[in-house]
Amino acid sequence: MTTEVTEIEKGKEFGDPKLYNNVHKIDLQEYYSSGHRTCQGCESALVMRDFIKASGPRTVVTGATGCMYVANTSYMTTPWVVPWMHTQLGGGGASAIGMAAGLRALMRKGKIAKEKINVINFSGDLGGGDMGLGGISNALQTDYDLLVIMYDNESAANTDIQATNLTPYGAQTTFTPTGSKERIMQKRWKKNVAPMLAIGHPNCKYVATACATFPPMDYMNKVKKALSIGGPTFIHTLDPCPKGWDYHPRYSGDLGQLAINTGIWPVYEIVRGEVRYTYDMTSKKRTPVREYLEKQGRFSHFKDEDYQFFQETVDEMWEEWEIPGIAPVKGTLKVRK
Amino acid sequence: MATETVLKDKSVWESEELLTGTDAVAQAVRLADVDVFAAYPIRPYTGVMDRLAKFIADGKFDSEYIIADGEHSQFEIAKHASSVGARAFAGSSGTGWLFATEALAATATDRLPVLALVGNRALDDPGAFGVEHNDAMLVRDLGWLIVWASTAQEALDTTLIGYRVAEDPKVRMPCAVAMDGGYLTHSQHMVKVPTKEAVNRFLPPYDLGSRRMHPDNPISIAPQVNEDWGMEIRRQNWEAAKRAVGVIRKAYQEFEEIFHIGYDNPFFEEFMTEDAETIMVGMGTVTSAAKTAVKQMRKKGDKVGYVKLRWFRPFPSEDLRNVLSKAANVGVIDRDFAHGGPDDAGVLFNDIRAAMYRSKTKPPMIDFIAGLAGREISIEDVVEMYHKTEKAEDQENIVNWVRVREGKASKGKIGE
Amino acid sequence: MATILKTAENSEVSEQAVRRFEVNYRGIFQKTLAYRITKDLVYVAHSEGKTAFSNGRYSDDPQRNGVPCANFAFFSNELSEEELEAFASAKMDIDRADIVSVLDDTMVKGLEPWGHYGIRPINEKVIPGGTLLVVSKRNPEDLIRFLERKPFSYRLAILPGDASFAGLWYYRDDNTDVRMLGAIAKVAPELINFEKTREYVRKTYKTDEKIRAFQEAYDSVSFTEVTPNQGIEWPYPKPVLPAWNEFEEGIVVKAVPNEFKMGPRGLARNPNYKRGTSKTQRPVVRFDICTKCTLCWYDCPDECFDPTPDGLYDVNYEYCTGCGRCAEVCPVNDCIVMVDELNFSDNNSPWESYKKDPLAYTKMAEEKKGKGRMMPSFVTGKGEKTTEITKEVPFKEAKK
Repeated sequence: MTTEVTEIEKGKEFGDPKLYNNVHKIDLQEYYSSGHRTCQGCESALVMRDFIKASGPRTVVTGATGCMYVANTSYMTTPWVVPWMHTQLGGGGASAIGMAAGLRALMRKGKIAKEKINVINFSGDLGGGDMGLGGISNALQTDYDLLVIMYDNESAANTDIQATNLTPYGAQTTFTPTGSKERIMQKRWKKNVAPMLAIGHPNCKYVATACATFPPMDYMNKVKKALSIGGPTFIHTLDPCPKGWDYHPRYSGDLGQLAINTGIWPVYEIVRGEVRYTYDMTSKKRTPVREYLEKQGRFSHFKDEDYQFFQETVDEMWEEWEIPGIAPVKGTLKVRK
Repeated sequence: MATETVLKDKSVWESEELLTGTDAVAQAVRLADVDVFAAYPIRPYTGVMDRLAKFIADGKFDSEYIIADGEHSQFEIAKHASSVGARAFAGSSGTGWLFATEALAATATDRLPVLALVGNRALDDPGAFGVEHNDAMLVRDLGWLIVWASTAQEALDTTLIGYRVAEDPKVRMPCAVAMDGGYLTHSQHMVKVPTKEAVNRFLPPYDLGSRRMHPDNPISIAPQVNEDWGMEIRRQNWEAAKRAVGVIRKAYQEFEEIFHIGYDNPFFEEFMTEDAETIMVGMGTVTSAAKTAVKQMRKKGDKVGYVKLRWFRPFPSEDLRNVLSKAANVGVIDRDFAHGGPDDAGVLFNDIRAAMYRSKTKPPMIDFIAGLAGREISIEDVVEMYHKTEKAEDQENIVNWVRVREGKASKGKIGE
Repeated sequence: MATILKTAENSEVSEQAVRRFEVNYRGIFQKTLAYRITKDLVYVAHSEGKTAFSNGRYSDDPQRNGVPCANFAFFSNELSEEELEAFASAKMDIDRADIVSVLDDTMVKGLEPWGHYGIRPINEKVIPGGTLLVVSKRNPEDLIRFLERKPFSYRLAILPGDASFAGLWYYRDDNTDVRMLGAIAKVAPELINFEKTREYVRKTYKTDEKIRAFQEAYDSVSFTEVTPNQGIEWPYPKPVLPAWNEFEEGIVVKAVPNEFKMGPRGLARNPNYKRGTSKTQRPVVRFDICTKCTLCWYDCPDECFDPTPDGLYDVNYEYCTGCGRCAEVCPVNDCIVMVDELNFSDNNSPWESYKKDPLAYTKMAEEKKGKGRMMPSFVTGKGEKTTEITKEVPFKEAKK
């Protein structure tokens, strides 16, 4: 079931996207540049910076309403080097279809030069995982070359931290505050978006989860694979958010790494239906989730029983699911080893 | 005097076919070489998408065709296709059009010349398929050009003219071509279909210039603004809406030069208004009944005339003033409702009355709420409206519901 | 009532009757604290029978960590609520204030809350005879050297203390709220009366600790008069916004040019919004011991490390927001250290001064760093640990 990332890095099956295997070989130029109103230590800013670095300047981008819209185009200024346009909160998938369809028609009719122009939309967890899920689903049903990146900071961070369906169990937000009667208001477990999209969309050859900075280059390589494998593709990133998670901006990288090492955030790719853990936690010892949770103010109200419930649910995901982190099917099903 | 359609130049016509109103628009979309269109089903506009899909299947039309997951996506697709420089088409009806409202508003403020067909339909609840103009009218303040077609030929012509106006660098606003659901969307009429060559002479290629989303033209579109900017941006859009008036006149002029179809005033058609003492104004298919009624009444010596309004946005305030201020009485046929609005009158009535406020002579005006949810408006109905309008002065109620069942039981009982 | 009508009729008289208070703070981690301060001020003023209300600068939302924000409180002895609102707060932002306060003294280096605002002086809104109140452990000269020179005299008041980053969900109450009340009661008795404020603190917080903190601040806040010849010529221009017909229709902004070359400032960046004023600390790099691992550059969410021909990474402090990720990810002990922003007076390229004279640069870097190493807790509200380093990392001669 698992394949070592080094094998994939040959990249042949993706039409040789020239994957990175050494941080010193990463393109030094930025196509998402300095001067954006993102928080100190913002991981989502790195999601932006790295996808466009991996995609290069021959790209058109739309950003759905959310932090990365409002923060990145502060009042008639822009940090973008590539063409970028706002799309409505739930418009992510449709905006990608619109651009891809427009470019394909114009090229076919000889109205613009034929070339490969990458089409990328980014939507947050509120826009992409909740309101825009249907539109993204529709985009993955088309045959256009497009990539939708869902940057997930686990809240509506742009409206000052409200719960979404991707907010983790128990986390404090302004919609799920802790109180004297209800310590835990966020009782929903995080919605598992990437597998849902991978399983339901036959046209979609590539779905992945990632964290911008860990493992190094993993996310950028996934963007490269998604863009070169062809057709509609989807990447879901987990973005530690100093603002909403309430930790010092210095530690975004550490928290991303912890999310992965605790097993809370499985990083994998599903290539033409084949599951590959690009950082394989099925064979590694998982760090207790408490070490991740207690480093964030949003869980500062947790009691032992809360940590325990969280740990048990994560353990179940790795030990009882037929495809850990992906398919919550238990029982006699045997997955190809 | 309305101009008759004369076909001086045969060479501009490809064929003459029996088409529904939506078929006619489909023909225009094909001839306009639209690059991207997005479909989602809702009665009664859907026919246009059925026809375009068949064009694609038969290889008669080269365009990207997307079946969307809802009207919101449908119009987001069109908006973003337009932003990369592709000519885009979409459409909807009733509640579907409302479901897309967020995207419709953004398309207008992004100043992207998407063209949409609105097959007018009553809004839910209760579900109804018949015509009401409220759906299209809901975007009347958002920066959309809105034009009503009342014949299949006019629908085809107006679609071509709509793209020409919307895409003009002085305008760059989206355009809604509205037509009465059922009556025009579904009934078939003989329509002259122009040749591609003639259309190309009239409609230049779509060019967004420095606003096109393309790696060769790196820009950021629609950044978040605060109170330092929003006002200036609205001011720009206001200016564009005003510039549209001149662009519309020019477009109709050149349309006549090429196709010899004359619309002497692009904004509205006047019928027997010169010496008319009583003038009624309406939009859409009620026109056929209204004009026939006018002919009948003229035979009996009634000095009546009719104005068929085409362009609802931009609203031709001054032209209308000039015509209506000459009349002794004015009536307005509203195929819409505006509950609790000024004098509880309809949308069209209040727009016209507002325009008349600046007129030196202010003829008495009365309003007729008619044909809602697709109810018929007969010649007799219109004649009756004219008779009421002739005595507009002594109408104790300026709002009149036409052909609505009144019963003793309902008379002033509710809430008492 | 008569006086109200009289003053309301005459804008100048009314202006005399309006008192404005501004608190400048860092987005998110000082948000709750700033709100508590203006809220308390209004409650106290009401207990004195004054008219008062507060609001936040709406354009600051959504707030971002470190981005300068402001809250306001308005007071009057004469005007009605309506009149006060009309005179004091017709705008989103205000253009003058009797008291301008600052919760993080590094903000004296300038404010740039959003693009096209420019980098503006912290004392821009201080009126003649008004007060700039700063929470700081610095002496007045250390702060005045960053302030814009004004054509008139005003007071610089300093409340001894560190910038309080009290946190969001986990809120640390370090009494900065009541200490600010104490300081304000001292510097602006016309806003809030000492006795009434003390009474309010007692009623509201019900702890001796709070009352002691309030009294201690009242006693310890110090004043200096800043005269017209003090301060600096402000180096940053104030942007002039174009008229509606002076910029392109369709909400279009030209992208950042596709330009890059090796070396300092070799990357094209957003010219209209720089973000450097978000810093409370800046990363100081010991180039001599750098292993060129690239991780500082790779992890920087603000793209402010410029690759150089010799494989080192220069820091563009104009764009650095001081998050500290580079210091966190750097594998070399003491190679990148976060240092108080007030220790620096320019944004020059550190790599260039290192290349000019490696030893001198390294000595300078160590001086600025000092012996203290401050390490924040993960959860911001839980404060930070400061440790003394016993021995410095020696200067390493570059290999020839």
